[in-house]
Amino acid sequence: MRPAPGGSPRHRVFVWLVALAVLHALVVFAGVISPYAPEEQDRDHAYAPPTRIHWIDSRGGFHPRPFIRPWLPLEGGLGEFAEDPAQQIPLRFLVAGAPYRLLGVIPCRLHLFATEGARISLLGTDGYGRDQFSRLLYGGQISLLAGWLAAALALLGGTIIGTAAGFLGGWADDALMRVAELFLALPWLYLLFALRAFLPLAVSPLQAFFLVVGVIGAVGWARPARLVRGVVLSAKERDFVRAARGFGASEGYLLRRHVLPETASVLLTQAAILVPQYILAEVTLSFLGLGVPEPAPSWGNLLASLQQYSVLASYWWMCLPAVIMVPFFLGYLGLASALQAWTGPVKIAGGGSGSAE
Amino acid sequence: MRRNGTKLARVCLLAGAMGIFFWSAGRAPATAPPGGHEDPGREAAAPYQSEIGRRGGRLVAALRSEPKTLNPLFAADAPSREVIGLMQADLVHINRASQLTEPALASSWKVSPDGLQYTLELREGLRFSDGHPVDADDILFTFQVLLDESVHSPQRDLLIVGGKPIAIEKRGPRTLVFRLARPYGAEERLFDGLNILPRHLLETPYREGKLAQCWTLAVRAAEIAGLGPFRFKEFAAGERLVLERNPYYWKTDAAGNRLPYVDEVVFLFVPSADAQVLRFRAGETDMITRLSAENFSALARALPDAVMADAGPGLEYNFVFFNLNEPGEKTPAVQARRQKWFREVKFRQAVSAAVDREAIVRLVYQGRGAALWGLVTPGNPRWLDATLPRPARSLDRARELLRAAGFSWKTGSTGESQLLDADGTPVEFSLLTSASSLERTKMATLIQDDLKQLGMRVQLAPLEFRSLLDRVFQTKEYDACVLGLASFDADPNTDINVLLSSGAQHLWNPGQARPATPWEAEIDRLMEQQLAARSFQERKRLYDRVQEILAEYQPMIFLASPHILAGAKRSVGNFHPAVLEPYILWNADELFLRATGEKPAP
Amino acid sequence: MRYLLRRALHALLLLFGVSLLAFMFAAMAPGNYLDEMRLNPQIAPETISALRAQYGMDRPFPVRYLRWLGSVLRGEWGFSFAYNRPVASLLVVRARNTLLLAATATALAWLLALPLGVWSAERAGHWPDRLVSAGSAALLVIPELVLALGLLILAVRSGWFPAGGLESLGSGSLSAGRKIADLARHLTLPVAALVLSSIPLLIRHVRAAVAEVLGSGFLWAAEAHGISRRRLLWRHALPAAANPLISLFGFSLGGLLSGSLIVEVVMSWPGLGPLLLEAILTRDLYVVIGCVLLSTLFLVGGNLAADLLLYWADPRIRWEGPEP
Repeated sequence: MRPAPGGSPRHRVFVWLVALAVLHALVVFAGVISPYAPEEQDRDHAYAPPTRIHWIDSRGGFHPRPFIRPWLPLEGGLGEFAEDPAQQIPLRFLVAGAPYRLLGVIPCRLHLFATEGARISLLGTDGYGRDQFSRLLYGGQISLLAGWLAAALALLGGTIIGTAAGFLGGWADDALMRVAELFLALPWLYLLFALRAFLPLAVSPLQAFFLVVGVIGAVGWARPARLVRGVVLSAKERDFVRAARGFGASEGYLLRRHVLPETASVLLTQAAILVPQYILAEVTLSFLGLGVPEPAPSWGNLLASLQQYSVLASYWWMCLPAVIMVPFFLGYLGLASALQAWTGPVKIAGGGSGSAE
Repeated sequence: MRRNGTKLARVCLLAGAMGIFFWSAGRAPATAPPGGHEDPGREAAAPYQSEIGRRGGRLVAALRSEPKTLNPLFAADAPSREVIGLMQADLVHINRASQLTEPALASSWKVSPDGLQYTLELREGLRFSDGHPVDADDILFTFQVLLDESVHSPQRDLLIVGGKPIAIEKRGPRTLVFRLARPYGAEERLFDGLNILPRHLLETPYREGKLAQCWTLAVRAAEIAGLGPFRFKEFAAGERLVLERNPYYWKTDAAGNRLPYVDEVVFLFVPSADAQVLRFRAGETDMITRLSAENFSALARALPDAVMADAGPGLEYNFVFFNLNEPGEKTPAVQARRQKWFREVKFRQAVSAAVDREAIVRLVYQGRGAALWGLVTPGNPRWLDATLPRPARSLDRARELLRAAGFSWKTGSTGESQLLDADGTPVEFSLLTSASSLERTKMATLIQDDLKQLGMRVQLAPLEFRSLLDRVFQTKEYDACVLGLASFDADPNTDINVLLSSGAQHLWNPGQARPATPWEAEIDRLMEQQLAARSFQERKRLYDRVQEILAEYQPMIFLASPHILAGAKRSVGNFHPAVLEPYILWNADELFLRATGEKPAP
Repeated sequence: MRYLLRRALHALLLLFGVSLLAFMFAAMAPGNYLDEMRLNPQIAPETISALRAQYGMDRPFPVRYLRWLGSVLRGEWGFSFAYNRPVASLLVVRARNTLLLAATATALAWLLALPLGVWSAERAGHWPDRLVSAGSAALLVIPELVLALGLLILAVRSGWFPAGGLESLGSGSLSAGRKIADLARHLTLPVAALVLSSIPLLIRHVRAAVAEVLGSGFLWAAEAHGISRRRLLWRHALPAAANPLISLFGFSLGGLLSGSLIVEVVMSWPGLGPLLLEAILTRDLYVVIGCVLLSTLFLVGGNLAADLLLYWADPRIRWEGPEP
């Protein structure tokens, strides 16, 4: 999936897009691919390690259809299990199972794989015996959506305000940039507490979460705005823009035709950085009680469960989801740089580049 | 709120407030822990026999935050109380192991037959940690300050019994008489935690009205003195607090050696529970407490050489309660409708029957906890009502109850069943938990799943702790809530303001002008009676009845109580965690460090 | 000079705005410091109202704000309810510790990010570039807290580094050299955690800035003149890419306080982090506002420093009277 080093930028963008599309398909079709509903508990198998897939039975016979052996809880402590050597449960593919709604609408029961009589958990289970693999896939739906939503809002706000500041210049520019500084400096933690207090509990927690994400995105305009402003400032002074103005082009035309397109690559780079950042912001949000509430899964709360010594020290498989998330993040970053190479280097005038944090 | 003339419940809301980010908060204090190490038989509870120790050495423990003040008059937070506990002493003390009172600064006391007059005899030859002798005037001064309204000491209300302040009188150089307006059920337990202050250091600031600025963390060692086993040495902001041995301490061990044994106690400030575990693992601290079951087992595995002690269930009780407040004009219609369900006794009973307490104990506490059906935990055997029914989980019974209350079921689009009330509205409500308490969030998640099987749709709403309190006590906009309370003492008076309908902590409907229901009125009556009752048997009988009423009407659906888990290096002698706070440092004066190579006594 | 004056005026305005808004948010957040007392049945409501009056919490918002401004001017920065002390006296020691930690980490992060960024820009598309970007993507996924905890576990298992704190017990009696070595040992882990969590974005920005310059004509020309590759990169490309990086540096100074909060808590570093966190949770209002203001001060200071650097580094700014 890696682009050839010498591949043309266009080609590289394409390859990254395909890679990301494949990854996202896994998440979008979580219902089919995951064997269980994400909140389904199996209280007898809390903290069970990943189920082992076998091809060879105890007598050395080879089975073309792989099988699993159920975990038997051992005495003394959670997370201690042994395989039951007496049982062989074959893996079955494309079978009907727990009902779900495909793409959130179509009622469906088809699962890519399943086992009968014992549960299969490719990435082990969490403290409630829920299947980590299913939670990872379903969690992606919420997290990616939240990431996009927040990034889109931040970029939208940033573009509008940044363009206005750069294009208008003068005191308007000055005022907008001072406000941007204020926004960068503010203690958002407090705002978020206050915000939750205003939301009635009747709002379902998931809706509340998206609202909070929306707000975070909306107040995140300051950094992109500074970047966009820088680009607009320098674009305004480019020779061809001056020339166009000289020929009597209207300001609106200049903006649309020459200035805004210049900002595209800055925005794309920002998007690629912001989406993963906003996905991870949920870890902090859960601390404030503003994250995705149990039992709904999200990448943020999968990662948040790693924040305990006992989990890190005792249940190594709880780290697997984090490992599996890396390609997604890599994909976004890769796409960003490929896009950057394709659209050509950007001129960033003087101003603050980037989101340091 | 009505003032209760009692040693008002010293109950602390176990905030998950402390469990700062994600690491779980501390736990509650405990009761008589048994002598054993390694999972000691809970019942065994061999009386604690201290060993004769060895002088010298430095003991290092961790606190999850800095103490805020060293002034016992104003200390409200747990770290401050813990540190002050080592520097100060009280007249009569509750032994954390036996849970009974024992002489402290007062060598003896007498209660008059009518229960209204307490005569205390001060120990001879007492000196403050700066060497200044103690006399009855110090005691008079202390109580004068405590009772002075302009001082605003949080402890003042403890001394208002029967609506009147306790009167104190000096009868001789070492004899003091305390007069109460009404008999007080818990008797001399009243004096526990009321620290005797040095008049020679504090009288001038008191006259100048500057008492609150005394003994903050900016204090110099010469300006502070107490009667506890240790005295202030130094403080490094955010880093540590060092106490040194008080050479004038009044206690001696069985062999007549002056206590305490160790030269210094160091408190390191380690704000996260996980970091505390790691520092103990690294050998940087000698003792650790408030361990979660997971961390306890992880440590037991990692450090086979440490003494890991399970002291059994503490006094913390966790429960769910529903919003039973009277809907007001501003109450949203949705909430008012839900509150109608909650006020239905059968609804609450059904929820109680559907909750899988055994799963909570197993999954939340890894088996190191006790399922609860009442607010008295097995950690408090003296007051536990052994006859209280402990029904096993039964969905059938829950369904029966709901059906009897007019609820019905329909099947939803994806095949799940949905509970409807008599008007056909789906039963759906939110459940608050403290976001920073991992354990309570876990309980709520399990309860949510339990209730799903009844067709109830429960939404979890983890909130930051203060926001949660704000909803429960101020705005009253919530449906149900999972909370934990930890009693400071085993006596039922500790919980009186939770139980009285007028109490500020009567969570489900606090501060009622007059009892909203007959059963709440009955509890009020029983609690007032036990307060004035003169014999333990009588008080116990009344209190058992209170527990039965709670079990029947389920205003609080009790869930589980965690064990008190602690650990120490093997070299720490007399390590004996209690289930009352402070779990491990209650006998700090007797703790000692063995010489290297010395084997612990069998 | 006029330029700098104007920047200073802006900074003052910013501080004022932040303090006002922080005050407003604090007033909006549910609950207050006395809530916990309200829950404590030992304490009568009258006591609480008396305390409210004593702390001035019952006053209207403008009065409270003005009083607080007054105490800032007196150098007290308000009064901590929990500690019964002026806030400034609480902040000083902790701010010093935080600065020590954060400044070390920032310096180290930049020292590492510059060569790595330049290197991967030069090798864009080749394996060093990919290695760096894969590594930084992986680091991005790990939340700061997990990173800090993981490092701590590593330290404890190996026994190489102390598991927290700023100095060893009894370090007071050590010689100066030993003391510094002791401090360095205690700094290692928190600094490592901070560097690892901040470096991925720094590298990306350095890489982007340098890659942009590398594509420009003057470098082709320079290369054609036979200037060595290394000299080209470090003497020509990097200075040309410096402008956005200097601004970024200003930002990263500004992010010091917020960035080190979690690491300080996990590693029990006696800085502002644990203080702020507890103050937020207990609603010790003026301590929170003090910390917020201090972090704004860092931000302003960082930006000002960046401006000065730009002023010095880029002659164009000196006569254009620039808008950074």
